Amino acid sequence: MGVDIGGTFTDLLLVDDRAKRIVIEKGLTTYPDPTEGVMAVVLQATKRAEMPLGDIEVLVHGTTLAINTLIERTGSSTALFATRGHRDAIEIRREQRYDMYDVLLEAPDPLAPRYLRFDIEERMTADGEVAVPLDREQVAGLLRRLEQRGVQALAVCLLHSYRNPAHELAIADIARDAAPALRISLSSRVAPEIKEYERASTTLCNAYVQAKVDDYLTRLERELVRSGFRGAFYLMQSSGGLVTTATARQFPVRILESGPAGGALAAANAGRLTGRNRLLSFDMGGTTAKLAAINDGEPLVAPGFEVARVYRFARGSGLPVRIPVIEMIEIGAGGGSIARVDQLGLIRVGPESAGAQPGPACYGRGGTSPTVTDADLLLGYLDPAYFLGGHMPLATEPARRAVAEHIARPLGMDVVHAAWGIHRIVNENMANAARVHLVERGTDPREYAVFAFGGAGPVHAYGVAALLGAPAIVVPPGAGVASAVGFLTAAPAFEFVHGWYTRLHAVDWTRVNGFLGEMEMQGRDLLAGAGVAGAAIDVRRACDIRYEGQGSDVTVPIPPGMLSAGHVADIQHAFEQRYRELYGRTVPASGLEVVNWRVTVRGPQPAFRVSPAAPRRGPASAAQKGSRPAYFGDAHGLIDTAVFDRYQLAAGTAVEGPAIIEERESTIVVGPGGRAWVDESLNVVVDLPPRLTEAPAGGEHDGRPT
Amino acid sequence: MADLRDPVVVQVLWQRLISVTNEQAAALIRTAFTPIVRDAEDLSAAVFDRGGRMIAQSVTGTPGHINSMATGMKHFLAAYPPDTLRPGDVLMTNDPWQTSGHLLDLTIATPVFARGALVGFFANTCHALDIGGRPMSADADDVHEEGLYIPIMKLYEDGRPNDSLFRIIEANTRAPAPVLGDIHAQVACNEVGARSLLALMGEFGLDSLDALSATIVRRSEQALRRAIAALPDGEYAAETTADGLDAPIRIRTRVAIAGDTVTVDYTGSSDQDRRGINVPLNYTEAYTTFAIKAAISPEVPNNDGSFRPVRVIAPAGCILNAQPPAPVAARAIVGHFLPGTIFRALGAAAGPRAMAAGADSVCLISVHGGAAAGPFTYTFFCLGGMGARAGKDGLSTTGFPSGVAGTPAEVTETLAPIVIHRRELRADSGGPGRHRGGSGQTIELSVRTGRGYGIAATADRTHSPAEGVDGGQPGAPARTVLDSGEALNFKQTQQVPPGQRVILELAGGGGFGDPRTRDPEAVRRDVLNGLVSLEAARSDYGVVIRRSASDREMVVLPDDFVVDQAATSALRATGRGSRDPAGAPRSGPSGGS
Repeated sequence: MGVDIGGTFTDLLLVDDRAKRIVIEKGLTTYPDPTEGVMAVVLQATKRAEMPLGDIEVLVHGTTLAINTLIERTGSSTALFATRGHRDAIEIRREQRYDMYDVLLEAPDPLAPRYLRFDIEERMTADGEVAVPLDREQVAGLLRRLEQRGVQALAVCLLHSYRNPAHELAIADIARDAAPALRISLSSRVAPEIKEYERASTTLCNAYVQAKVDDYLTRLERELVRSGFRGAFYLMQSSGGLVTTATARQFPVRILESGPAGGALAAANAGRLTGRNRLLSFDMGGTTAKLAAINDGEPLVAPGFEVARVYRFARGSGLPVRIPVIEMIEIGAGGGSIARVDQLGLIRVGPESAGAQPGPACYGRGGTSPTVTDADLLLGYLDPAYFLGGHMPLATEPARRAVAEHIARPLGMDVVHAAWGIHRIVNENMANAARVHLVERGTDPREYAVFAFGGAGPVHAYGVAALLGAPAIVVPPGAGVASAVGFLTAAPAFEFVHGWYTRLHAVDWTRVNGFLGEMEMQGRDLLAGAGVAGAAIDVRRACDIRYEGQGSDVTVPIPPGMLSAGHVADIQHAFEQRYRELYGRTVPASGLEVVNWRVTVRGPQPAFRVSPAAPRRGPASAAQKGSRPAYFGDAHGLIDTAVFDRYQLAAGTAVEGPAIIEERESTIVVGPGGRAWVDESLNVVVDLPPRLTEAPAGGEHDGRPT
Repeated sequence: MADLRDPVVVQVLWQRLISVTNEQAAALIRTAFTPIVRDAEDLSAAVFDRGGRMIAQSVTGTPGHINSMATGMKHFLAAYPPDTLRPGDVLMTNDPWQTSGHLLDLTIATPVFARGALVGFFANTCHALDIGGRPMSADADDVHEEGLYIPIMKLYEDGRPNDSLFRIIEANTRAPAPVLGDIHAQVACNEVGARSLLALMGEFGLDSLDALSATIVRRSEQALRRAIAALPDGEYAAETTADGLDAPIRIRTRVAIAGDTVTVDYTGSSDQDRRGINVPLNYTEAYTTFAIKAAISPEVPNNDGSFRPVRVIAPAGCILNAQPPAPVAARAIVGHFLPGTIFRALGAAAGPRAMAAGADSVCLISVHGGAAAGPFTYTFFCLGGMGARAGKDGLSTTGFPSGVAGTPAEVTETLAPIVIHRRELRADSGGPGRHRGGSGQTIELSVRTGRGYGIAATADRTHSPAEGVDGGQPGAPARTVLDSGEALNFKQTQQVPPGQRVILELAGGGGFGDPRTRDPEAVRRDVLNGLVSLEAARSDYGVVIRRSASDREMVVLPDDFVVDQAATSALRATGRGSRDPAGAPRSGPSGGS
């Protein structure tokens, strides 16, 4: 069973191995306690499956609880202990603006306000030697007082603790007596990497959300057990691996991006099943679109990310988190993104969003700004009577008024053309972002098929794919619960990192072998505790290397077993190969330095195929619901377009574009020249026509979404 | 043909052009050797039409690079008119007076041809690791001492490399491998841009960029002119004094808004200097057009059209229009003061984007000495506070207009035998105002070699603080001392005896608006956080705050501080508690809390 809590809905996917069937359940997310919503869908699903909860072997859960706590700033009252003289690193940040021209930019408030940040008398050198011993009395006094005064959580981030954690550990030790109720996060345990700002930020995020996550998991586990659940309970990590609830309670910062990770894993799983080794995961929701590259069935993993951006989704305006995460770009482009005419007399879409309240004009909740969803409705892509499967009828008139008033009239164009402009421009924004992202990683955007999900993803995937020159789009069954699908394809995994700076040619291998072995052992113990047999455990080790003096490092695998100076050449070779992939060349005659050492311990990965009840085989025409006029650019104008019911399209059937294929949570738009077909796993695959690179002279090429 | 009367088509093509330059920049970042390019993204990349007008630029890039490159393309065309250019040609220069103001920046421009006809150029500018001479030093007596000087030349001709030029560069730099590597990356990224541009032109059936360029430039120019016209006509003036290296440097700015044009006149600024902090006019123009756009209309894309409504005047021989062969290597030291001065001149006239002056300059700290493991030299940046905005406090420890980043203490201490004892926000350094200036920071450092060491630091604004706007007070000036209390000028390298620490207190930003109108709640928060002292709350803001917790209380909470409303109203009504008029320097107490 996979259960994903999103901002609006709680999604569930139940896979019954014995009966070879699945159950999809969707309910509203409940506030303030999401436990109710989870238990409601869980009980509904087991009832529909006619299966006692006790028969569920594994439950994988992802939640936005932790990240929303950061975004909404509803976490614990949190203090920070820092080395004397360095308590402001968290507020000094990187000393850099993230936007060159915008002088109104903002920095996020630190999670621990300055009055709760304390200078601790102690000091380690960069080599990890004690320069000033820890003032245990000061620490004990402060801890007692913090607890007495009602402070709930404490992050400890002392200089060079990634190198020698002794003082941080001592503080935790003192706290056991002095402040037993205070929840303490140590930077040397949460994110033991060099750079005090990023490490402190990560540790603070952990401390700040811990109580909420812990309380929630306790409640949920209790409710599940009370209803008969006896299986294994895992949480989804941002990196795509599973952890036990015990680990999630200790390191809740690892589950911040659990939902998006699930989506990317679903894409990776589809990539493996369909043999596509280049997929672009494309999740377009209400306010943002998330894009992730999937190469050879594996998402890329980045060593860190940023949460809770305070200013227009701008990179640099959030809190840095140094925790492995499935690499994604997120841009302010969603169904609720607002279109406006800018001072250049051009249409701009997003990043401002109408959100869910008041939402797009067509929601009829008082929104008057034209949004992407309004445009999609006016273009005929959405059926006003079948939005969310008919649960939420859309109103065409307010949408028309909004687009007319704010876009069409100021620009002197008709409403449909204005709507087309909005649709086209938001597609351009997403395609441009994807193209640059893929070029930065040294790959060719034209090789990537687009794996589309999220409410607006399938509506826009065809247009985005056409702009990228992609060969195809793939829309999975259950696209509305893609994250939950991804959860069930994940392996239990633990990632460890140890910050230990050294020149590659002067590594103390005894030390390195020591802590690599220790991390592996910890991981094996944790997996054994989760019921994974030793033989099934996969251990991967890596280090972050860079050229001496360079700021950004590259993660490369290192060989198994005991390491020695004899392995340096192999490691250097692996680095150069990866560097060449990323940057096209290597730097001759430069030394290498290692910054971090990493160990990932993983259990086996389940191969997983979602097979909803397949409709009876029949011609596509049997699945046609009707037709309606839809607009596909000036070259085509309004075309009467066949509308199909996805649930009636059997494997093997094909549909020629233009066409619209509807399901409850979304709508797949197929442009003229495209060809949609249903594969064995009930994915809808749309092959795009070969891209025209030369436009016919005088042709109306700009009007087409190619 | 694409119909450019259709705003959707224009927007699509325009965004695509910007995207093409982002691909160009991504390719450069991906293939460059030098960390400054790779990590700081200190580069600019842009596309030009065949007349040399910049039509789109990548999102990366500092104004000093991008805007000076934009105005520099005309020099390329003057040196090589279109009939002398062929496919496979690549042009290059580092002329400080034609491109970005010092020899370390290499600009490479590549003409693009479609069906045999010149359609435009791609160009980029990168900071080279070394170009001979006395790099990153203001010590040279003239530009010839500052390194290799490359007039506009063909680096490639007809696809063939100019071996003579390559060999001269190779022989004149201390770091030939990375420098040549970066040049190759600069050439290659223009090719990436050109390929994408040609694909785009093919897709949309364009034979030339002329019509598109004209549309983009016209729309941008009109938008900026409309924004300028919305401001009240008038002359706005401001003056500031930078420390300079040997003698203070006066920067006098008169901003005249007349209808839809802006004239920025620097007449009256100091004469050019003996040291290499002189600014060529093109670099002055670059930071001036940047400031006008940021103050008035940041949403307008940066291109040829957004420069047109702005005229810049600086008399020849003044430090902002230095004449060759003046030394210019460290031109940023003075150039970085221009945007803040323009913002302050405009004052409240800039509307919501109005901003007080900030620390403006970047503090570059360079420490060297001997150690058991051999001699070391280590250089890093740190930043003071930004000015307060019309509606928001200033950002603490954030560079403006520079885009450089600071360095974590752990990184500094790992790469050099330096100890950063303190790196914290500096209390009472943000200029009081209705919105407070951003705080500066205090850096306290020494070495752990047991020996003496040399240190230089370009902490500016020691004499002249960051001025406030609209009744806002100046921020605290910078202060540079030894822990013994001895004040030293670290703009010259100082030798520090073993065991002594250096304390650098960087300037805070100026305040915006009368501090007596600041929300007392905001003052209370600043007091609670130790950014404003209880005394300063009373004397600067006219806010009386009572601390209820005992002096020995280790953990203070919001409730421990209460605004005495009656006393505050009384104090504010008397007008006491306000400082001397804006502009008077104030020296803040030293940091710590």
